[in-house]
Amino acid sequence: MAEQKYIMGNYAITRGAVEAGVRVVAGYPGTPATEILEGFTEYPHVHAQWSNNEKVALEVATGASLANVRSMAVMKHNGANVCTDMLMHLNFTGVSGGMVLVSADDPGGLSSQNEEDSRILVHTYANLPVFDPSNALEAKQMVKEAYELSEKTQMCFVLRPVMRVCHSRSDIPFEDCLEPEAAARWEDDRERYIMSAVEVRQMGGIKRPQARHRWLNQKYREIVDIFEESPFNHIEPGDGNTGLIGCGMGYTYVKEAARDFDRTYPVMKLNTLPVPERKVLSFIQGKMRVIVFEEIEPVVENLIKQLCNDHHLQVEVLGRSGFYASDGELTAQVVSDTVRRADPELRLRNEVPDIPLGIDVPVRTRTQCVGCAHRAMLYSVKRVARKYKGIVFGDIGCHDAGSFKPLELQSTIYCMGSSIPMATGAHFAGEKRPVFSIIGDSTFFHMGVNGLINAAYQNARQVIVLADNGTTAMTGFQPHAGSGVNLQGQPAHKVDIKGLGESLGVHVHTVDPYDLESTRETLGKAVEEDGVSLVVVSAPCLLTASRKGEQPFEKRRVEVDGEKCTGCMVCVNEFGCPALVFDAGGEKVHVDELSCVQCGLCAQVCLQGAIS
Amino acid sequence: MKKDIAIVGVGGQGTLFAANVLCQYAMARGHQVLGTETIGAAQRGGSVISHMRISDQPIYSPLIPKHRADVLLGLEALELLRNVKVLNPGGFYILNRFCVPTVYSNLGIDRYPSMEEIVTALKRVVKKGYEIPATQKAAELGNAQMTNVVMLGALTKIDDFFEYSDIRKLVEEMSPPKFLKNNMACFEAGYSLL
Repeated sequence: MAEQKYIMGNYAITRGAVEAGVRVVAGYPGTPATEILEGFTEYPHVHAQWSNNEKVALEVATGASLANVRSMAVMKHNGANVCTDMLMHLNFTGVSGGMVLVSADDPGGLSSQNEEDSRILVHTYANLPVFDPSNALEAKQMVKEAYELSEKTQMCFVLRPVMRVCHSRSDIPFEDCLEPEAAARWEDDRERYIMSAVEVRQMGGIKRPQARHRWLNQKYREIVDIFEESPFNHIEPGDGNTGLIGCGMGYTYVKEAARDFDRTYPVMKLNTLPVPERKVLSFIQGKMRVIVFEEIEPVVENLIKQLCNDHHLQVEVLGRSGFYASDGELTAQVVSDTVRRADPELRLRNEVPDIPLGIDVPVRTRTQCVGCAHRAMLYSVKRVARKYKGIVFGDIGCHDAGSFKPLELQSTIYCMGSSIPMATGAHFAGEKRPVFSIIGDSTFFHMGVNGLINAAYQNARQVIVLADNGTTAMTGFQPHAGSGVNLQGQPAHKVDIKGLGESLGVHVHTVDPYDLESTRETLGKAVEEDGVSLVVVSAPCLLTASRKGEQPFEKRRVEVDGEKCTGCMVCVNEFGCPALVFDAGGEKVHVDELSCVQCGLCAQVCLQGAIS
Repeated sequence: MKKDIAIVGVGGQGTLFAANVLCQYAMARGHQVLGTETIGAAQRGGSVISHMRISDQPIYSPLIPKHRADVLLGLEALELLRNVKVLNPGGFYILNRFCVPTVYSNLGIDRYPSMEEIVTALKRVVKKGYEIPATQKAAELGNAQMTNVVMLGALTKIDDFFEYSDIRKLVEEMSPPKFLKNNMACFEAGYSLL
């Protein structure tokens, strides 16, 4: 019997790829997908890399596949957006060695800047086949199946795990691994790999894009047939004329909710795209209605509606498009409420009435960690931006919480690398106020560097604050091109940010954020400069430093002198360290000893000299 | 047999470690285990929840449905209150008497309820609950970060399903060497608090 291990869903995906003999894996960190790639460090025979962005990662994986080895690209849904251009070519060319793209979704946006369904991009748009796993074990089986089918059909397959699959923990069997083939074997195939507007002689001179489009459409039909027999779709018999269709995680909530139903509905598990049309028709024929439970968007629901239309079936198809919430994460509760609304005769067993708490529960927003260098940087930027009435464009990373209360510093948070170009646009719009952007180092290498090159080239006057903490902190401390190490922890070339800035002809400054005064002075100087100023604010992420037993600051025990504290709230409103607590009763601030890390920053912030 | 356990707190309080210990324990006893947790942005000082489902029947959803949890461990008072609806009427909670103010409460926009108000509201919804000063105890023993281990010790005192000696052994095995001694002291202190 195979050995069982209790592991995170993401590591089950890693294991599936290793068992399938994957040879090259590339990705960029993004919750909830990050640990998939980290898992490959356990398997040194696989080349695994943190690429600097997802488009690069997908291109690396495609190159490996064309060299006839099995490959994988790993990202979250935002990352799949980044690589759309490559996606819309590799779907037309097809692949050679088996290739799987993992694009993890985050229903409810628990750790993302938007809520988005990857299936629309990879299936509806790119026409690639998709597996939508219900749990970690199935995700692993799907990865292995995807490699087989990918080589059989020449198509890149997509796995779309949602957060509850990625970050589940369960017992997973470890089976034998296929030995990857010894060597890559490149074979030219220009009819496929040259995506250009050239006439295809064998097809009467139509252009290659059209020829490849025709090929893709044929492949799609072929895969519909393959999925008729897929083990990942099945029908469970039941009574009555209402059917429940569960897709991926949606299937588990259907099964969970059904434990409390006083009747057994017919259930269809539908975990592939395209959907197996004959199988779906056999399920819906004769029913009055079906309810589709799927995460994020009504993708399967719409396909089934189209199927009903094509086959003149009078079946009511209900789902995400409005019958239940069109946003947010599914739960078993959503399933039972929805089924009860569709079928008022349904009775629930074990129903527990809701008792009101009788008290408001205030929301808790995230912030930077106590002692984090980003808080110091944000505080300094805020002081300078306010003095010059600046506008601050933000970017993705832990520092984006500077845009929430209490600091409310950044005026925008969009996608990776958007800060510098947006500041550039505001500048050329004729905005008289100075423009700033704040971007982290990992985001800078991901996509921000393009914005910097453009800003330098256009001479778009602005102050760019590069928060350089040496890691990708938000997703769990992954190294990047400025870290000096690679995924495996081996030494790697470290980009010289200062030298890079100088080569672009921008003013470059470097500061230590824990020194508030000199940071402020430098930022003030940068605002006065003509052209682009790049202020590199360098201090290691406190969490990574602490793990190595290092301190980015000199420890200093602080306390508030109750006599001197006037309750002015500057430390709470303008700095916002969670270890500083305002006592509404006493109108004073005190330091919470249990959470303070003794960075001493608040002593520099206090205007009254009350913290020392 | 089934046991659904939720552990809630503020990012950074160590809910993941506690959840892992309990899962390993249940698996060693031959049960099926399925869990899920909050990772990523919310870990930075936001609300976090770990779900752990232990059963001899197939477990479908890693999320514990509303009113189905048997045990709720609250590493922070407000977070326990926020999630108390996950408990079934016969379940119990253990409240760590410890508050982390929210950004809005610190600014005076929201009011953080008093401990008394929190406990009154909890009692309205669930009959059985326990309160311990876990963070204070952990700080006395060396580091507030060991709150989670104090809570685990307390859990073994209340619920027979969780055997004191077996869980203690797992905490011992899973603790990083530099925290081992203090973690064991915290575990025992947690057991003695109730």
